[in-house]
Amino acid sequence: MTFGDFTPEAFAFGFFTILTLGGAFGVVGSRNLVRSAVWLMVSLFGIAGFFVLLSAPFLAAVQVLVYIGAIGILITFAIMLTRSMTNLKERFNKQWWLAALAALTAFLLLMVTVIVPTWGEMGAEEIPPTVASTAQLGEAFFSGWGYVLPLEVASLLLTAAMIGAIVIAREDD
Amino acid sequence: MIDVPSFAELNLEVALPGIFLALFTTVLLIVDLFIPKDRKITTAHLTIGALVVAFVLNLPAFNAGETAMNEMFIADAFAGFVNMIVITGAIITVLLSVDYMKRSGIEHGEFYSLLLFSVSGIMFMGSANDLIVVFIALELLSIPLYVMAALRHDDVKSEESGIKYFILGAFASAFFVYGAALIYGATGTTNLPEIFRAIAGADGIVATENSAMIYLVIGAAMVIVALGFKVAAVPFHMWTPDVYEGAPTPVTAFMSVGAKAGGFAGLLRVMIIGLPLLVVNFGDAVETMAIGETITVPSAWQTALWLIAAATMIFGNFIAISQTNVKRMLAYSSIAHAGYILMAVAAVGTVQITKVAENDYTMVAVYAESALNGALVYLLAYTFTNLGAFAVVMSLENNDGSGTMLDDFNGLSKRHPLTAAMMAFFMLSLIGVPTTAGFIGKFLIFDAAIQAGLIPLTIIGVLTSAVSAYYYVRIIVNMYLKDAAVTDEAVGLTPYVNYATIVAFAGTLIFGLFPMLALDLLASSGAQIATLLF
Amino acid sequence: MECRDIINTFAPCLSDTLGVSTDLANFLSITLGVLIVATFPLLVTILLIWVERKFAARVQDRIGPNRVGPFGLFQPFADVIKLLGKEDITPAGADKWIYNASPVVMVMAVLLIWAVIPLTPVHVGVDLEIGALYFVAVASIGTLSVIMAGWASNNKYALLGSFRVVAQLISYEVPLALALLVPVMLAGSMSMVGIVEAQTGMWFVFMVPVSAFLFFISSQAETGRAPFDLLEAESELVAGFNIEYSGMKFAMFFAGEFMHVFTNGVLMAVLFTGGYIGPFVDQIPLLGLVYLLAKASIWYLLSLLMRNALPRVRIDQLMLFNWLFLVPVSIINLILVAFLMFVIRELGLQPDDPRDFVQNIPQTVVLLLGNVALLIGTLTVIRNRFRAERLAEQSTMLPAQAGD
Repeated sequence: MTFGDFTPEAFAFGFFTILTLGGAFGVVGSRNLVRSAVWLMVSLFGIAGFFVLLSAPFLAAVQVLVYIGAIGILITFAIMLTRSMTNLKERFNKQWWLAALAALTAFLLLMVTVIVPTWGEMGAEEIPPTVASTAQLGEAFFSGWGYVLPLEVASLLLTAAMIGAIVIAREDD
Repeated sequence: MIDVPSFAELNLEVALPGIFLALFTTVLLIVDLFIPKDRKITTAHLTIGALVVAFVLNLPAFNAGETAMNEMFIADAFAGFVNMIVITGAIITVLLSVDYMKRSGIEHGEFYSLLLFSVSGIMFMGSANDLIVVFIALELLSIPLYVMAALRHDDVKSEESGIKYFILGAFASAFFVYGAALIYGATGTTNLPEIFRAIAGADGIVATENSAMIYLVIGAAMVIVALGFKVAAVPFHMWTPDVYEGAPTPVTAFMSVGAKAGGFAGLLRVMIIGLPLLVVNFGDAVETMAIGETITVPSAWQTALWLIAAATMIFGNFIAISQTNVKRMLAYSSIAHAGYILMAVAAVGTVQITKVAENDYTMVAVYAESALNGALVYLLAYTFTNLGAFAVVMSLENNDGSGTMLDDFNGLSKRHPLTAAMMAFFMLSLIGVPTTAGFIGKFLIFDAAIQAGLIPLTIIGVLTSAVSAYYYVRIIVNMYLKDAAVTDEAVGLTPYVNYATIVAFAGTLIFGLFPMLALDLLASSGAQIATLLF
Repeated sequence: MECRDIINTFAPCLSDTLGVSTDLANFLSITLGVLIVATFPLLVTILLIWVERKFAARVQDRIGPNRVGPFGLFQPFADVIKLLGKEDITPAGADKWIYNASPVVMVMAVLLIWAVIPLTPVHVGVDLEIGALYFVAVASIGTLSVIMAGWASNNKYALLGSFRVVAQLISYEVPLALALLVPVMLAGSMSMVGIVEAQTGMWFVFMVPVSAFLFFISSQAETGRAPFDLLEAESELVAGFNIEYSGMKFAMFFAGEFMHVFTNGVLMAVLFTGGYIGPFVDQIPLLGLVYLLAKASIWYLLSLLMRNALPRVRIDQLMLFNWLFLVPVSIINLILVAFLMFVIRELGLQPDDPRDFVQNIPQTVVLLLGNVALLIGTLTVIRNRFRAERLAEQSTMLPAQAGD
């Protein structure tokens, strides 16, 4: 894909870039927390679009499902339940410029890393362009030749987290 | 269509202790629902039973030395030893919890499930052969601990401890992921032995001009930060005193040994198996070497770990002096002890380069074995000793969490002579006095450090040990030489706590008198690590 | 290339006949496809409003709209004109951006579902490999719109309403997704086309009626209509999350809701009753659309009947029904179907030619028997539980007579 030609991919890439970056700017720029949350979801939606462009539709759908359908809603819920936080007119963080500086430094570092091709040949292999099919994903996760151990341990982890949340949240009877 | 490996090929039996415990935990969650609220002791008994079974299942693992599940999991003597440490620690923790949880009014059946989840996380950490597994095991061991720290709802300190641990822990996890990603980027694999091979290169020596090196170094640094947080090494220790003080005491006890064992297991796995040969700066020495000549150079991360270890030992011990709350004092002492174990990790980083022929070198982390033995024996000794100390502190603790000040130990020898005697023994073991297990651990670590040429670090270690004697002995003085200001009974001195104290005492004494018991188990471990790598 | 089938060969036709560059032609063709797919359900909705009102009227022994046009068919247009003329109110203190964006998101969430629905064997917006997952993902966006509307309105009833809805929608997404997994398992594909094609021999509703039931119930709850219409429980919340909306924005919420109900009918048709599959579809593809809409209409009418016949449940009943009935049953159902599929494979009962009706019968019988067993088991558990409750209630009443 080249940027010179007008291809649907280029168009989509531009669109999702605007969504992602614009959303991200919205998150840090809004003084209203609910708006920040909505912007965050816009940004995450844009990232789902990138997954599609990167031939990972499964990840894209999971991104929307998990980050917008679950985490986004959860964040909004949490903000709304603390209503006094939603109508701030003042900047409540006096160290914003420090954060901006840190973000800028990280950005510059990343840009240098990306632009200057410093990744060595050590172990680096050309990865053939493929669409990761859902069947392949399933095979990688569930067959013993793949990531079955991390998958199972992760499911244990989620169980533990859920039990933990219930233990903390429930009222003692 | 899909190439499904047979059960035999999965080699599941080498992972049996971890799998058994994980499955049992999920079953226990359901079984617990049918146990009435006033009989939660049954859950505790079931938990201890499962831990004992896991302990027995773990015994064959010492001689397995096999990988399982697509090289993600490895059962060797190292894993077996870590499993042994953590299972023993968990059994003592359950014994401590039974009555404490009841009298604090926070008795939940889920507590034991969470504890077991954390234990299985540490066990998977000990057997991790892949950065992904290290990460997920790290989370599995941490998340239940966050919850357990905040278990005492009505106490603000407990809630603070939970939230503080959680937020900083999440931060540390992010560091780990970032570091692992960089290591993956530089080597193209997450498998630890593969990383080792990728770094060692074809001709047996790392090409220093390789530009991926910088990412490996940053990645290694981030992994050290993340795991340094888990083991409470200075400067990533800030959470430790508050969390240890606020969390329910049995949880603190488990945290101080379990999370530490898990963190060190991960650190040792990544550093010894994955990155021992990460040497950045050879200088000109390599170029001018004659064939057959041998030089030693430090690994890229050795200096960092050196500094962290020194800072941890100095800071932990000196701050502990000024503490008046014994729980807090033990928290700082736990920081200090992390410093000693880090010394062993640093000792791994001394790499020997031999020029075999022109353009053919061999690189060996020669002191990995003795350092590993030192670290593991130290962890074992510390587990027994520290849990014992916490058991005694807990037996003096009142239902509202008070009663753990230094003064509360005054005249303990007259009120409870046996408990006082055991406490004194634990304190001596924490200092590292001969005939205690603590001595063996310190001896092995100092020995490894001297071999590896870390003389200044060893001197710091010895000196800070001497400093630590001050505050440990102070407790003994309070117990034996001062008169009691309070005369009320220790409410926590229940049979279960006594069992726990006695088990801890026996462990400290036996491994102090017969260190060969542990060393024999480990003898195969070092050999296995060696065959795995070279 | 010949320009025979204008719909499927639009792009090459365009570049051939008009000399437009291939990329632009592709782009135009995609854009046009999007427009068609997005407009079609909106047009159907206009008709649906009439159907709904007529149906409700008949159930309530009324005549319903009959003034505007033949049989009152043009009533929805009159409604639209009325709504357009209404004042567009934005309450003071409302978050204007979010307030205005919310109805759009609502309609968008429903329209996005249509992208993966195969209308005929050759006409499908996009045959995503992960179609089923895509559906679950975009359906969850609707929740977002509700919470946006509830918060931005700066009205406590709106906020309360949206809290309720979000709790309801999130809860019912669980059995919805679990029920959806069953057709995916049976078809061995998450693609909607794959699921439809797998039903050539036998509709899934005959194999796994329990899953169809679970999906139907939870999708009904997802639309937030009676008996699950707590989000706008008029007697409790005035009008729920959309209380402050007026004019066209209000209409968009309603259009979204109507469309969602019909979309659920379409999904039921696609997932469980063979979508576009029917006689002569191979020869005349457009016939598939007729079959699809006919099947969808039957499910749609069924949900209308449910809406009009059943009373609203209480919020606690709603949650209990979900977490204590739908979720456990759907989990057991999922495990059961997976087990039965294993049994079928081991016994060699799966058809050699999946498109053959007769060869499908053995596995259908096995699955159906399993489903019946599950049904009986569930009903027994429920009966015992309620009997125990009834007995407990009676025994608490009795002591007064016993001279306590």
